[in-house]
Amino acid sequence: MAGHNDSSVSEKKSSQAVDDLPTFSVENMQNNMKVIYYSRTFLSIIGGVIAGILGFTGFAGFIFYFLIMAITSVGLMAKAKFSVHSYFDSWNRIILDGFLGGLLSFVLFWTFAYDIVHIF
Amino acid sequence: MAEDLVLDTAIRDWVLIPLSVVMVLIGILRYFVSKLMRSTSQVPDLKIVKEGQVIIRARNLRSAANFIPPKSFRARRVYFSNEENGLLHVPKGQAPNPQAQMFSDPNMAMDMMKKNLSMIIPQTLTFAWVNFFFSGFVAAKIPFPLTQRFRSMLQNGIDLSTVDVSYVSSRSWYFLNLFGLRGLFSLILGEENATDDTQRMMQMSGFGFDPTKNLGAEKDSLDIIQHDWALPKFEQRAEKVLRNLIR
Repeated sequence: MAGHNDSSVSEKKSSQAVDDLPTFSVENMQNNMKVIYYSRTFLSIIGGVIAGILGFTGFAGFIFYFLIMAITSVGLMAKAKFSVHSYFDSWNRIILDGFLGGLLSFVLFWTFAYDIVHIF
Repeated sequence: MAEDLVLDTAIRDWVLIPLSVVMVLIGILRYFVSKLMRSTSQVPDLKIVKEGQVIIRARNLRSAANFIPPKSFRARRVYFSNEENGLLHVPKGQAPNPQAQMFSDPNMAMDMMKKNLSMIIPQTLTFAWVNFFFSGFVAAKIPFPLTQRFRSMLQNGIDLSTVDVSYVSSRSWYFLNLFGLRGLFSLILGEENATDDTQRMMQMSGFGFDPTKNLGAEKDSLDIIQHDWALPKFEQRAEKVLRNLIR
């Protein structure tokens, strides 16, 4: 019995060692990254339009952008059921990736909506 | 704000909105045209395909090296990179001259030219169109203040130093669209479009693309890889599981 117990402990250890290894399927991870990129781009465009319609100017608009991105990060985390490491290799992927990539789209649509609604 | 400019609503209806819509439509058109022009019927060279497959196999071995025992890894590495008949080994002096190869295959140069043209022509045309019709308009106002340094960037085409910098001329609005719509395109056209530009850049930079150089590079990286088996206790573990099954 003791031997069996012992073996189960060592088995657990070895299985833990196996789990600790970063074993990712590259294709799946690329797909996940793509999903992140799409959702960030989409939300930055939508956020830009909303910011323009609400008439944010100056600093408020950028704060709004960061807020949107933070919400996106939280949403992605919720989608990953808060176990980020089973979908991505690091936290940075979900929090920082594509953070500045959407900024240009955001500024463009912000300007567009703002001009159409408020300037003329 | 007292110094606010009053912009005519006609500018919005006839400059700002049409310009943006045209930019989007031209982007979509460009995508489909370049898709059409991509010649698909050419038969790839047997040797090049073979080398490409070998490289992919070697890359797979490299990325999954830690999941096979050291002995198997060494055997596979020798298979790929030994000096006599390894698949990745290129005998010296046999490497074909890439320049000559390119001239012997006019399709390749033709393809590259088509791709570049499909990128350049719409851009020059749109730029000329914007320049011709909309030069000198103050078309938009960006909703955040900027410093004077941005004047040349944002008020391209207006030579007034008294206008607030946050007002954007139509030509600069065109540039803003050009860069900012990339995200939208990747949403509506799929990822293919997003990667297209970078792929083109790669092709342009790698004009004299040489497959044998690739083979050599792959061989080197396979040679220097440190093998570290990830599953050292796997056999014992499997034995244990099987024994438990029998019991």
